[in-house]
Amino acid sequence: MASCVYVETAVRHHPRTLRLLERLHKLPLIEIDHYGEVFNPRSQNFRLQKKNPAVIIAHKNKGQVLAAPEGYGLGGDYNYYFSHMLNCIYDCRYCFLQGMYQSAHQVLFVNYEDFGDRIRQTAAGHAGKPVWFYSGYDCDSLANEPLTRFTDFFIPLIAGIDNAWMELRTKSTQVRAMLKMEPLARVVTAFSFSDAFSHGKLEHGVPTIAKRIEAMRRLIEAGWPVGLRFDPVVYHRDYQAAFVDLLDQLFTQIDGHKLHSVSLGSFRLTRDHFRRVSRLYPEEPLFAQSMHLNNGIISYPLDREREMIQFCEAQLMKHISEQSYQPCEWHG
Amino acid sequence: MLIWVCALHCEAKPVIDFYRLKKSQDQHAFDIYRGDDMVCVVSGIGKIASAAACAWIAASYSGETSFAWINLGTAGGAEHEIGELLQLNQVVDADSGQCYYPAPVAVSPLAGSACLTLSRPSEDYRSDTLFDMEASGFMQSALRFSSAELVQGLKIVSDNRKQQTGKDRQRVSELIHRHIDSIHHQADALLQLDGELAALEPAADSWQQVLSLAHFSQTQKSRLRVLWRYLCNRDFSSDTLLRQLATQNSARAILDTLEQISFRDSEGL
Repeated sequence: MASCVYVETAVRHHPRTLRLLERLHKLPLIEIDHYGEVFNPRSQNFRLQKKNPAVIIAHKNKGQVLAAPEGYGLGGDYNYYFSHMLNCIYDCRYCFLQGMYQSAHQVLFVNYEDFGDRIRQTAAGHAGKPVWFYSGYDCDSLANEPLTRFTDFFIPLIAGIDNAWMELRTKSTQVRAMLKMEPLARVVTAFSFSDAFSHGKLEHGVPTIAKRIEAMRRLIEAGWPVGLRFDPVVYHRDYQAAFVDLLDQLFTQIDGHKLHSVSLGSFRLTRDHFRRVSRLYPEEPLFAQSMHLNNGIISYPLDREREMIQFCEAQLMKHISEQSYQPCEWHG
Repeated sequence: MLIWVCALHCEAKPVIDFYRLKKSQDQHAFDIYRGDDMVCVVSGIGKIASAAACAWIAASYSGETSFAWINLGTAGGAEHEIGELLQLNQVVDADSGQCYYPAPVAVSPLAGSACLTLSRPSEDYRSDTLFDMEASGFMQSALRFSSAELVQGLKIVSDNRKQQTGKDRQRVSELIHRHIDSIHHQADALLQLDGELAALEPAADSWQQVLSLAHFSQTQKSRLRVLWRYLCNRDFSSDTLLRQLATQNSARAILDTLEQISFRDSEGL
């Protein structure tokens, strides 16, 4: 349960705020001028806050749509991301969001219309060419769906822009709202998975693998394009057997040839993120493994990484078509 | 370690009595009362006095790995009942406009309130905030030493539009004493959080022992600290590790040995 709700005075009576506050009415409410007052100060401990993060309801003034970082995306020429939320309700130890912000509070932006305008303008700037909009960069796209009703606004928006494509990236099972809609070929829901051992050790609060496979299966059945993301693959003694088990579990229920896209990458963080996260969690084995610094990125030593990727790719190719495979290219 | 910061002795007294804190007989800039895992400092009135007391006490206990803080005192509130206990969720300095936000890590059983810190006493109460004279100075200073989750303000309403009891010292102590169980509950929760952070740091004596085994450069010292913290947190016995390292004859060899142990351990996640 969240510890309290902060709300920017300017959006205190916004219809989305009022709906959010109806659901959060049991929590103490604190009015603020700007979310940065609470979210940005340095004297905050992400680890302690993550126990019960607060909810911050805010207005995103600028930068609603940004160019995606190099290497992020599915190979399209025009890649952008947008974040209707900052931070994630889950607590995955490998996630860069742990070191991204000072605060673990969840920021929910309510001015979806401004995001919509920027998405329309951005797509119009590349008329006639496919433009990808990624929503799961600073948050899990669907995890807070009962609160945010993100899909109710953004899927119809994308449907109305002929050259816009959207990826929802998630570890949640919150697909109920999408199952009530007409499927749209240009909205891909990408589910992230780690093997069961890594899931148990590193993905705190994330729904079980079985429940997520079930959510995937229902979306596929309803006609939605679905993707799979094995990113990051984490090294441990039995990662090979565990990865094979995960694939068996997935592909006994899902036809791999019906997937929109599948991507794979090993664990990596920028040096700054790695430092911050490993200071927060000094007892975490993930950060005590043998690592290697390459171009500002900390990852496994090259031979180990190569071995992991080659092994996982070979296993994956037994289940999916080559065309749908997108390796995560980050070495530059 | 928990630090109580109170402006007046009458505000500190219920805490001193409850925890049986002992007055330090040494000459100090501020009166302090000590217990096993806490200390109470009496700052005097005003935000500058409060900030100075925080800085002074933090410097006095600089060997501590982590501090939690509670500013306990009285405040004025327009509509609040005399004796009401409130937890501050926003502190605003009336002179600078600067806002501070203590960050609760759980839903508090106490009612919350904003607090406006004034430089002079005022009875021109506002319904949306408490008035006090210390909280902003306390926050500004305590947040230099600890994160916002470990810094709390607890205020008991001593004055409102109808009644002023703030100058009656015995009454102030009584009003605070009434809430001593709730105050203790808050203090206990903060001490637990503080303990969690402190437990992540290796014991000072074992750290000194490992450092003394060889000459480490600054870079090597940083790496050593990461490895030592990891292994101590993973329940490796520091005595066993130190015995293992005693045969190594250089900083590099010590680091290599600790790395190999860490790598082996971490492969099991």
